[in-house]
Amino acid sequence: MGIWLHELKLLLRQRMAVPLLLLTLAAASAAVLAGAAEVSRQQDVIKRIQPQQAEEEAAIADFVTVGADPGDAAYYTFHATWDEPAPMAFAALGQRDVAPFVLRVRALSLESQIHEGENYNPEMALPGRFDWAFVLIYLAPLFLIALLHDLQSGEREAGRMAMIQSVVRNERALWLRRVAWRVGLIYLALCAPLVIGGVLMAAPVGEVLAMLGLAALYVLFWTALALLLARLKFGSVTNAASLAAAWLVLTLVLPGLALLAINAAVPVRQGVELTLAQRELVHAGWDRPREETMQAFFRQYPEWQNMAPLDAGFHWKWYFAFQHLGDVNVADQSRAYREGLEHRDRWTRRIGYLLPAVGVQAGLHRLAETDLGAQIAYQDRIRAFHTSLRRFYYAYMFNDVPFTMADFAKAPRWGDAGDDS
Amino acid sequence: MSMARRIARNDLTQMRRSRVAQVSLLILLALSVVAALTSIAHRNASDELRARFQAQANAEFGGQPARHPHRMVHYGHFVFRPLPALAAFDPGVDSFTGNTIFLEGHRQNSANFGDVRQSSLLARFGQLTPAFVLQVLAPLVLVFIGFGAIAREREQGTLRVLAAHGVSARAMLGGKAAALGLVAAIMLAPAALAMAWLMAAGGAPVLPAVVLLVAYAAYLGLWVLGIVIASSLFANARSSLVALLGLWTLTTILLPRIAPDIALAASPLPTRLESDIAIQRDLRATGDSHNPDDPYFAEFKAGVLKQYGVDNIADLPVNYSGLLAMEGEALTSSMFDRYATRQNAQQRQQGNTALAFGLLSPAIALRSLSMAAAGTDLEGHRRFLAQAEAYRFDIVQRLNRLQAEALTYSDDRNRNNDPEAARRVRIDPSNWHDVPEFAYRGATTTEKLRAAAPGMVLVIGWLLAMLAGFRVAAHRLGRAL
Repeated sequence: MGIWLHELKLLLRQRMAVPLLLLTLAAASAAVLAGAAEVSRQQDVIKRIQPQQAEEEAAIADFVTVGADPGDAAYYTFHATWDEPAPMAFAALGQRDVAPFVLRVRALSLESQIHEGENYNPEMALPGRFDWAFVLIYLAPLFLIALLHDLQSGEREAGRMAMIQSVVRNERALWLRRVAWRVGLIYLALCAPLVIGGVLMAAPVGEVLAMLGLAALYVLFWTALALLLARLKFGSVTNAASLAAAWLVLTLVLPGLALLAINAAVPVRQGVELTLAQRELVHAGWDRPREETMQAFFRQYPEWQNMAPLDAGFHWKWYFAFQHLGDVNVADQSRAYREGLEHRDRWTRRIGYLLPAVGVQAGLHRLAETDLGAQIAYQDRIRAFHTSLRRFYYAYMFNDVPFTMADFAKAPRWGDAGDDS
Repeated sequence: MSMARRIARNDLTQMRRSRVAQVSLLILLALSVVAALTSIAHRNASDELRARFQAQANAEFGGQPARHPHRMVHYGHFVFRPLPALAAFDPGVDSFTGNTIFLEGHRQNSANFGDVRQSSLLARFGQLTPAFVLQVLAPLVLVFIGFGAIAREREQGTLRVLAAHGVSARAMLGGKAAALGLVAAIMLAPAALAMAWLMAAGGAPVLPAVVLLVAYAAYLGLWVLGIVIASSLFANARSSLVALLGLWTLTTILLPRIAPDIALAASPLPTRLESDIAIQRDLRATGDSHNPDDPYFAEFKAGVLKQYGVDNIADLPVNYSGLLAMEGEALTSSMFDRYATRQNAQQRQQGNTALAFGLLSPAIALRSLSMAAAGTDLEGHRRFLAQAEAYRFDIVQRLNRLQAEALTYSDDRNRNNDPEAARRVRIDPSNWHDVPEFAYRGATTTEKLRAAAPGMVLVIGWLLAMLAGFRVAAHRLGRAL
């Protein structure tokens, strides 16, 4: 034990060690704080919109219930959806700054609503957010490099190597102790703020442990790289430069090249194509023979096929039928678009096996539920919610039931089916 | 000065022999070339695709059959944001903003399908563009090549030998800076070639392109000076390297991330959902067109009747429904403008806060300058949003005017129960054809340069500070010898 403490004392006496450890601790703490602040801002937004949404619904109810037409209610009422940040979202904010986490939908065609963007400042999003994932992936390797690059070469350059080798019985154990302290303390400085953050956010233990595990793997990767390089017995300067170059290539250059390759290999333009196509399909509904529209709609919803035939003039039944058919007819394109995105994501994960920075980032985003998968999952929940909204309004419309004030309260609420969890 | 030249030449010879210098420079050049080629290809492909989609949208709008004009208001139109030629050099926020907006009556939709939401998380690692290579990677390679400039000579004892031969500290530093400056110039070469190509073949505006090149040269120049200064301050090469690596990390990796976080926390934007609700609330407060007794619209009606000198809307020579639609659209549109102005002011505030960090990091200053001069900054996207909104308002009001003038009030009222009226309210498709196409007007050179000015001032300030630091370092080194 004494020998370990002795090594610790030696380490802390080094000029760079204490400032570097404090810097690591400060960066990780600041990142956790910044992430937690962002997450609590998002939670505040979700809380804040509830009364605003209720007020808006009440105002719509006031004029819609005059005519008591369920079509009016379905047309004018927007329903709020939101995507609560997951407990570990503070550690890796991911795509939540550029994708909406609150979105309103109404019972009209969904494809023209679900791709809406959020108001955000792109110049602020461009450099990426300062979160714990950033500190781990970009800064931690640099701190490690600073502490490890001269582990042996420094002793050699100071002329102490021969003495160490003659005095120390088990040289391997000596280097192990030195490496263990350096890496262990950096890891501690990195992870203590994360654990505190996780406890404060009441995150599941498993998720915190998984992130700690990913961090450990990443830290070990860079440690191994530094130790492997040390075997080549270069000078400290060459070691530092080589490791920094490796960092540059592994965290900036190769991910950049991989992005170019993936975006070129998997083009995703169906998003625009599908909205263009969907508009044509919906609006062609106005000119299509009414009976044709209704028959196509009844194939989707046979339960309404026995309704009384529509007379001339405008009918919400018909209007909502062709709105929905617009979605049905681009379902394939919508699926293709989604698959394109998932395909890109899958390739990114594969690249993660080769590039530790990418792999760890992907893992952290997954655990934090801030990645593309989480975005798509939110969209899926919106789709399910939209379906229940439509069914709710259809029941009034197709049964010709007047829509009264009391019925507003019966509309499906986001979260009823557990879809805000 | 010939002494400085001799030192520079000697340094360059050493660099040619150094494997680290060679390999890192070669990698950087290779990356520059890859970045330039892929960026040019990407910008051309994106721009072409958007132009094709725009043509498709135009054709679809013009090709609509006879319809009630209000149907066309809801049918709406799509507009696409073209990419400026210099986006091939610095795409700026292009992939972080949607590039298409659906324009329709009563609503203001968001710009959708930005690349960032369509690319995997890799997009957040930074895109490999000529601008990124020069802003982020080039300074680091300069550090690798130059950290030992003076420090290594000092370590090896050659510094005193040189001094003994009568080499002044200024010539020594000048020679080192000149050698490293030449390396920086080589780094800039692929970007300069790409820029020349963009000007010659891509129609890139000359003045902004030249300003960009000069600014990047100044940026690399200030790094060259900074590296030589740092190298003269430290006793050994390792300390110099570690200090420079720390400085690079702080100014090009850490601060560019921290600055926006602080700016965003200082003035968070309301979400789209909240703005939508707020606009609806304001509209209700002004007047409720659904309410037949609403005072605002009652007054509007009275005004119209008075203007035409009739007592009844049925006696108007125009279709009152169309006038009402125009009034309603003018009302909503003014709300959109008011909220957009407010949001723009807030975003500018955020931008200014973040740019203030350019006092601590030249990379932040350069990035702002670069996007502005390339026309790919937020201001450029805002210009697109503003023009798209103006176009939206224009086509919607054209269609509303058609409803007011080409339709009779009684036909419009009875279109749902009288098939003949329903036929008459569907007006001739040539009317859609007459709607002008969206013509995006990009930033003029003056606008670009004005937007780039704050960044430019900061970069020049940095360069001057480094020159002053250089004098101080030379003086200090002279005394030490």
